[in-house]
Amino acid sequence: MNTGLLWTVGLAVLSVALALLLAPLYEGLMRKLKAAIHSRIGPPITQPYLDLFKLLGKEDLRTAGGLLYTAAPALSLGSVLLLALLVPMGARPPFAFAGDIVVLLYVSAISAVLLMLTAFGSGSPYASVGSSREMMMLLSVEPVMVVALVVGALKAGTLATGDIIAWQLEHGPTISMAIAGIAFFLALQAQAGKLPFDIPEADQEIMGGPLIEQSGPRLALFRWAAWSKQFVLAVLLVEVFLPWPGTGVFALDLVLTLVKAFVVLVVVALVDVVNPRLRIDQAMQYYLRVAFSSIAALAFAVIGM
Amino acid sequence: MSTVSLLGLSAALLLAGALVSLVLGGRRKASGWASVGFVGAAGVALWAVVVRTFSAGPDPEVTLLSLPAIGAGFVVSVDCLSAIFLAITGTIGFLTTLYSVEYMTRYRTDSVAKYYPLLQLLFAGIVGVVATGDFVFFLVFWELMTFASFFLVTFEREVRANQRAGFKYFVVNQAATFGMIAAALILWTRSGSFRFSAMRDALGGLVTTQPALAHLVLFLFFMGFATKAGILPMGDWLPDAYPAAPSGATAAFGGTMTKLGVYGLLRVFLYFLPLSPVTRTWGLAIALAGAVSLFVGTLTALKQDDIKRLMSFHVIGQVGYMFLGIGLGLFFLPSNPTLAALGLLAGTFHMINHSLYKSCLFLGAGAVAFRTGTRSLSALGGLRAFMPATAMYALTAALAIAGVPPLNGFASKWLMYATAILGGKAFPLFAVLGIVAMFISLVTLASFLKYLGSAFLGPPSPLRGVREVPASMLVPQAFLALACVVFGLVPAWPLAFVHRALTGLASAASLPRLESLLGDGPGLQAGSDLVRVAFWAPLPIAAALALLGLAAYFLIQRAAGAPVRNVPVWTCGEEAGPELSRYPATSLYLPFKRAFQGIYPSIHLRAPAFPSWLRRAFDLDAWLYLPVARAVEGGARAVSRTHVGIPQVYLLWIVVGAIAVVGIVLAFLG
Amino acid sequence: MTAVLLLMVIVPALGAVLAGVLGKRRAPVVAVAAAAVVAVLAVWSVATSFGTSYRDAVGTLPWLTGAVDSPVFGVLLDPLGSVLLLVATLIGFLTVLYSAAYMGERNRDHAVVLSQQGPYYFRLLLFLASMVGVALAPNFLQLFLFWELTTVCSWSLIAFYGNEKSLRAGFKALLITHIGGLFFLLAVLILFVQTRSFAFGALAQLPESLRRWVFLFLMIAAWAKAAQVPFHTWLPDAMEAPTPISAYLHAAAMVKAGVFLMARAVSSGWAMPPGLGMLMGAMALVTMFLALSYYFVQDDLKRLLAYSTIAHLGYVLLGVALGALGSITGFRGGVLHIACHGFSKATLFLCAGAIVYATGTRSISALGGLARSMPLTAVAFFVGLLAVTGVPPFACFWSKFMLLEGAMKLGGIVGPVLVGLVLVESLISFGWMLRVGQKIFLGPVTPVAAVNSDPPWPMSVTLVALMIGCLVIPAVAMPLVQLIGR
Repeated sequence: MNTGLLWTVGLAVLSVALALLLAPLYEGLMRKLKAAIHSRIGPPITQPYLDLFKLLGKEDLRTAGGLLYTAAPALSLGSVLLLALLVPMGARPPFAFAGDIVVLLYVSAISAVLLMLTAFGSGSPYASVGSSREMMMLLSVEPVMVVALVVGALKAGTLATGDIIAWQLEHGPTISMAIAGIAFFLALQAQAGKLPFDIPEADQEIMGGPLIEQSGPRLALFRWAAWSKQFVLAVLLVEVFLPWPGTGVFALDLVLTLVKAFVVLVVVALVDVVNPRLRIDQAMQYYLRVAFSSIAALAFAVIGM
Repeated sequence: MSTVSLLGLSAALLLAGALVSLVLGGRRKASGWASVGFVGAAGVALWAVVVRTFSAGPDPEVTLLSLPAIGAGFVVSVDCLSAIFLAITGTIGFLTTLYSVEYMTRYRTDSVAKYYPLLQLLFAGIVGVVATGDFVFFLVFWELMTFASFFLVTFEREVRANQRAGFKYFVVNQAATFGMIAAALILWTRSGSFRFSAMRDALGGLVTTQPALAHLVLFLFFMGFATKAGILPMGDWLPDAYPAAPSGATAAFGGTMTKLGVYGLLRVFLYFLPLSPVTRTWGLAIALAGAVSLFVGTLTALKQDDIKRLMSFHVIGQVGYMFLGIGLGLFFLPSNPTLAALGLLAGTFHMINHSLYKSCLFLGAGAVAFRTGTRSLSALGGLRAFMPATAMYALTAALAIAGVPPLNGFASKWLMYATAILGGKAFPLFAVLGIVAMFISLVTLASFLKYLGSAFLGPPSPLRGVREVPASMLVPQAFLALACVVFGLVPAWPLAFVHRALTGLASAASLPRLESLLGDGPGLQAGSDLVRVAFWAPLPIAAALALLGLAAYFLIQRAAGAPVRNVPVWTCGEEAGPELSRYPATSLYLPFKRAFQGIYPSIHLRAPAFPSWLRRAFDLDAWLYLPVARAVEGGARAVSRTHVGIPQVYLLWIVVGAIAVVGIVLAFLG
Repeated sequence: MTAVLLLMVIVPALGAVLAGVLGKRRAPVVAVAAAAVVAVLAVWSVATSFGTSYRDAVGTLPWLTGAVDSPVFGVLLDPLGSVLLLVATLIGFLTVLYSAAYMGERNRDHAVVLSQQGPYYFRLLLFLASMVGVALAPNFLQLFLFWELTTVCSWSLIAFYGNEKSLRAGFKALLITHIGGLFFLLAVLILFVQTRSFAFGALAQLPESLRRWVFLFLMIAAWAKAAQVPFHTWLPDAMEAPTPISAYLHAAAMVKAGVFLMARAVSSGWAMPPGLGMLMGAMALVTMFLALSYYFVQDDLKRLLAYSTIAHLGYVLLGVALGALGSITGFRGGVLHIACHGFSKATLFLCAGAIVYATGTRSISALGGLARSMPLTAVAFFVGLLAVTGVPPFACFWSKFMLLEGAMKLGGIVGPVLVGLVLVESLISFGWMLRVGQKIFLGPVTPVAAVNSDPPWPMSVTLVALMIGCLVIPAVAMPLVQLIGR
């Protein structure tokens, strides 16, 4: 019991630390990659860390007050770290006892909710436009993620994330899970806020959208939360849909997971770099199609494939 | 005191309160405070019934009045299910009345003499509905409730739209009630009694001997309760009627009256209807009806600009969730008790949760209207600065209805998704319904972000002199918001009561124990005794979120020690006032709303036109009586013309007559 | 007991004479007193004879030779008669009380001068006496006599205002109801010739072929009196009468004499041929729906209520028909409906009276927002409306419910179809009445409705009493109708 508890606490600390500390690195790598494709030198890989550090010390300009407005950036990062506790990283999620895929999906939306509330609170029309788009993207993308994860739940007959992975390891790849994985990957592009789906922030149109009035430490925390989220979701993707080979050795699995997540994010960056931004209605249509196609995964899952 | 005397006491208190508030009608606040006293006292009595029922088990049925002429009797029968509704009524009733005291000062021309008495009659009706064990009296109280609420809906009597809304409400519900009367009569011909137990026997017999008729009966009951609950398309009255009533009454409707549709549904399908394949069929039908309602209702809510109308559409959507959960439960009842229990718990628990947050939201919307005089989102903005407490409660309730963990809305929705997804293995459609429900949960979020963002956040609206509402209007909201948090953090506690209520119903008596379903901790672990397949532990999640958030705040944000400065909103250097730089609520999510426009068709019913030829055919005066009368009159006139008054002419007639008589006599003799 | 029952006829008759002689200011006082005495006596006698059937003979016609059941005059107080007696006397008293204020010079619709008071109360009290006579009649002959007396009173009261329109309406009512009366007489004569008896029970002794005709004639009489299709045309025109008269004669009492006759005929021996029962039920349904179809084109509030009355008399006859077809519950429901409808429709009519009194118009389209100035009338109207359309816990719910039970008891496909039709009719009429109620009392205030207030106290008291009646009359009448049995 005690070792179990220790293990859980240790795993939790590790997950939080990875999500917090490794996420900027992945972002830095993606920037470097994009620069390479653009034939630029690009920023150093450590640039995101430097950005955060710099921003944290900058003056905090606020257009509104109130408890929620003040706490939102920190809570946003907190919710993403909580998400990390629900996502497996080389082992069962540390908070497996407290939340399953449904909880995971909902927790993943909290940061977006906080971002939108902050944006509305800031009083800038650009932020409102950005929030409106953010919500529409959420409405388009979440169903895709839901379908993908539900396919796993249907196949494994359980909602527990760890058990779904265990089932995957045991039964090997299936058509339905492959389709679901692809769908989840397509959703990841938008969840990470990368082109062609960076519509809510759209710097050139609405100047960062929800973030327009955020500065200094507040901006730093929101950015950090976004990078962590993209990292955690990438990890979730590879853990649930590509858990193989699953050696059973924790350290090895963890490293494999991190590498696979890196590959996934590289592909995300590639997509980002070769695509122009879509309009919001185009994006919605696109994800509507993805969602309906992923229903096929559901159908396959039902007939056991 | 026994259940009956406590209920009698509460009913007497409510009726006395109605009278007293009627007498005091001229003095707004006095009438209101008197009502608060009476409703509060009645609420205490109701809670005493609840405590008694849950601690000592239900009292045996008591027949207070017998009407052998129609085979009915006033049977008082309170089981754990009734007790739950009594608790809701006692609580929400008291809170909404308390809220109304100040709120009703808003109406300058309409007397409160037509508010408090009716509100208390409404509560009395609700108590009666859930406390009776005889269908005729169920209908009596049901209608008492309906007409009391009709007059509440038409409270602002000079507003035409409210009158129309009230009319639609009453007529649609009356139609539903008539359907239930027909259903009850069909069962009565088999049982000879309207007692619930007799109706159960009758329906049980019908299911085996005449399944078609049984389906008809169930259909009529379903329509009756779905109409009251607001399931589309029958619930079309709801978005018109709810906003029309004063906000205290609207909250009471949303918190108590709508829920009786769910009560009726549980009563009919878990008590009247014995466990049979029919249960399964109707479970599917109810789940589908719920899914349609939550989909259409919620998406339509997204488009609304009037805050109370927006919330009313969400009532439809939320009731859809309840029906979905209960439908899932009923579907699995004959085959899989674990899933059945999860679904039923989900639907019923969601009903309780909805009572809490929807009442809170309506009260908040009322508070906004109370201070600003408008309910239009486009006209509002930035109220948080002036009404911080209201904003906080509205935020809590809004996040709860949107199902943001760890609030109560998420707990019941989580149960529902778990049921739907796990049930998807046996019946794939349910997985799809679960996905739809999750999607709609996001739409709910979008809709309430719009509400929060437009009304409370953002640049201040041009309205002046707005300030926080009085304490007596805040306390009910605070209580409900707190309840949302508590029920979210320890869902196992209310669920234990819900579980007892459900297993107290005959057809659900064999559901598994709660511990074997959800574990015995404060959180929920769905599954059977051996395998746990779904997990939701709000306390650790909330604790972790709070801890991580605080850590991020103190260890990262504040640790850097950046100076803070308040600045105006940057409008790209242009000198634009807040009015010009506002992003109106109607523009939010426009492409998305456009994608789903036309999802809510509007139907216009016209007064039935009877064919005019038919009416002409039945206008006997025109073609029968008057012509006959004229003919008679004409004949009489012709006869009178022979009476000219000249003796010679009369003599001539005598002669002619004599000849005629002689002729006839001769003819007969010859 | 006999003395009390006779007093109930004599007191109003004497009161009528007295009121007619005294006239002017004292007439209303005498009338109210007489009506109050009758009401008290009626309640007392019904209460004391509850559960039994009281019958006594008082006199005979010496020249009527060969009758097996001489003496031919007497009193009969049984549950069926008690229901009508209560309705006639209680509503009668309230109407007289109401008239005390309504028939005055401040009536904005039709001011009534003092000299008209005497004749008015004479006719009204005479009607009350004859209505009591109908309720207490022990045989067809006496029933016929009082029945015709009500017809005459009705004629004179419809024509009371004496203008062209009301004279015509009165004459029309007299003609049609009297033609019905002739059929009644014909039926009574056939009965007497065949059985040498006027007794209700004698109907069952008639040979099958004759019985059919007798019942048909009685039915025609009842249809004419109760304004059923095809004789419904007189009742809407009779709305030219002063409103209390419309409430009492043409909603609560006189038209009920028609259905009462049928109830009597059917329940004495239950010998009605089923074919005729079906005809009666079918015609009742036709009447209900036809009257309903007229709702939508009425702008005159009183005419609307008149059509509603026609429909509700159809309900009662439907109940009686159910009884003829073998469903005692339906029969009881029909009889209960006599009482319930009496009170609820009287409430509505008297509210209409209050409106007319205060505004001088009864055009629905001209009225609006009256609840502001006439709150009591508004409450009473809505109570009456809910009561008459069968919303529980008010009066007509119970009677309609019983009627529906009776229909279901018929079994087969007929029962459920009847239930469906009745419910459809109820729903549509409910919708329309509600709409009218909303139009008149809620909504924006129209110019006509701007300056008025609730009526003077005798009218207000009446309205309150009727509201209470709408709530409690089922409780009073249900035990009574329960006693009606085979």
